[in-house]
Formats: sequence, structure tokens, C-alpha cells
Amino acid sequence: MKRIVAILIGGLFIYAGAVKIIDPVEFARDIDNYKMLPWQPSVWLALYLPWLEIFCGLALITRVFFRGGVFIITALMSLFIVVSIAAKTRGLDVSCGCFGHASKYLNFSWHLALDFLLLGGLLLLWKRPSPVP
Amino acid sequence: MKALLRQSALLVGLALLPAVVQALYLREKIPWQSRVAESDFVEVDTARGWAANIIWVDARPSEEFERDHIPGAVSLNEDRWDEGLSQFLGTQWSPEKKIVVYCSAASCNLAEDVARRLREEAKLPNDIRILKGGWEAWLAKK
Repeated sequence: MKRIVAILIGGLFIYAGAVKIIDPVEFARDIDNYKMLPWQPSVWLALYLPWLEIFCGLALITRVFFRGGVFIITALMSLFIVVSIAAKTRGLDVSCGCFGHASKYLNFSWHLALDFLLLGGLLLLWKRPSPVP
Repeated sequence: MKALLRQSALLVGLALLPAVVQALYLREKIPWQSRVAESDFVEVDTARGWAANIIWVDARPSEEFERDHIPGAVSLNEDRWDEGLSQFLGTQWSPEKKIVVYCSAASCNLAEDVARRLREEAKLPNDIRILKGGWEAWLAKK
């Protein structure tokens, strides 16, 4: 079960990273829409974050640096949730930017539901296997 | 715990390498200073000077457009892009006119996105600008 969850989440993060690598300027605009960072840091983040997602996704699938990958993805998911809720409470109607252009079709509720679902899956990955009695 | 931090640090470092390579590769194409070039904006007074040679595009949500808008403006936003675009192209659009897209100050990125999609996706040949200061700037100079 844990293996399947790791592959699904890892695959999703590789996909999410890949679609954003294609157009980093578009992703920088998505980050800038949250109005939390100046433009230049948004550009650097847009160049960096997709690669981090891909490496962490690969870590989950290949099990190389597995716990490091789970740790970073959990931290990223928590950050995405906080930032999304903060943007919503500030009245900003922004596309999450998680999956490039496809994010435009993901409304806030679906976006949040997906985030919490992923966070649930990640918590499952944190659990160590129970010792055999 | 130590292994966890070491693995995390390695992943963070590994991701940095391709990001730097990509930044160097795209350095000419990335707008490092601002998300929109200053030349893409137009002041209210300048836009007004274009008089009849202009199409106003309201990029705000439909409800805000229905409440009030610049006279003669057409509503075109990302929530109903396909429908709005075909309606716009079939009725108001003309290749000779300048297009000025506006939104409100609170949601100002909407105009930038609509202007970019008109250029890149709809491939309109028009001179397409973004109204500086948006709807509020228009109201202030009404």
C-alpha cells in the first residue's frame, strides 16, 4: 500500500515539476499572483521549485533518499496549503499554479482537497512499518 | 534524524544545479526586472486620445463588469475564456484597432493574463496594451 502511495505521489510531483519547467515565466507569474514575494525572487523560485519537485518525486519512486524526499514534499505541501489559504483570506483569486496551465481549471476547493489528500498520503509514508510480534 | 537532514540537504542541492543551468540558458528570455514590460502599459489619458480607434476589454469577473464598466467595453475574462473570445472576435474585434485591457487594482494581474492570451493564444495582430492603474485609474479621471 505504502509503495503504491509513494509511486502515485512521486509521479504526481514529477508531472507537476515537468509542466512548470517548460514555462518558468508562466510559473513565476503564478507565484507573483500571490503577492508575497517581489518579482525577482518569484522568478528564481519558479526556476528552482520544479526541479526540487522532480528530484523529490524521483526519490519517492526509486526509494533513493526516500525519507528526505518525503520530508521535503511534506514541507512543500504544508507551505502550499498555508499560502493558498492566506491568499484566499486576502481576497486574491489566484490559480494555484501547481500544474501549469491545467491549474486554471482547478478551483480553490478542489485544490485544497487535493492538497489535503496528498498530505494524508504523505503522513502514511512517514509511518514506519509495525514491528512483527 | 541526521540521515533525514543529510538526504534533504542533498536533494535541495541537487535541484539547484539544473535550475542554475536553466537560468543561464534562458537568461535572455526571462523578464528579470518586471513581469510586464513598461511599453505594454498605457495611461488613461493616452488611451482616451485614441478615441474611436480603440477596443476596451474588461478582464474583471463578469459580476464586476455587469455592475459598471467603461462605456463600449467588452467583457473577456479567464473564467469564460472560450465563449467570451469567440463572442469578442465575432462582434467587436477589428484588426486595425488598438486593444486596451483593464482590470481592477485588486486583481490587476487579470488584465496582464488576458492581454498575453490575446497575443499568444488568439494571435491577434493588434497593438494590445494594459491600462495603467486599471478601472480605478479610469474612474479617477472620469
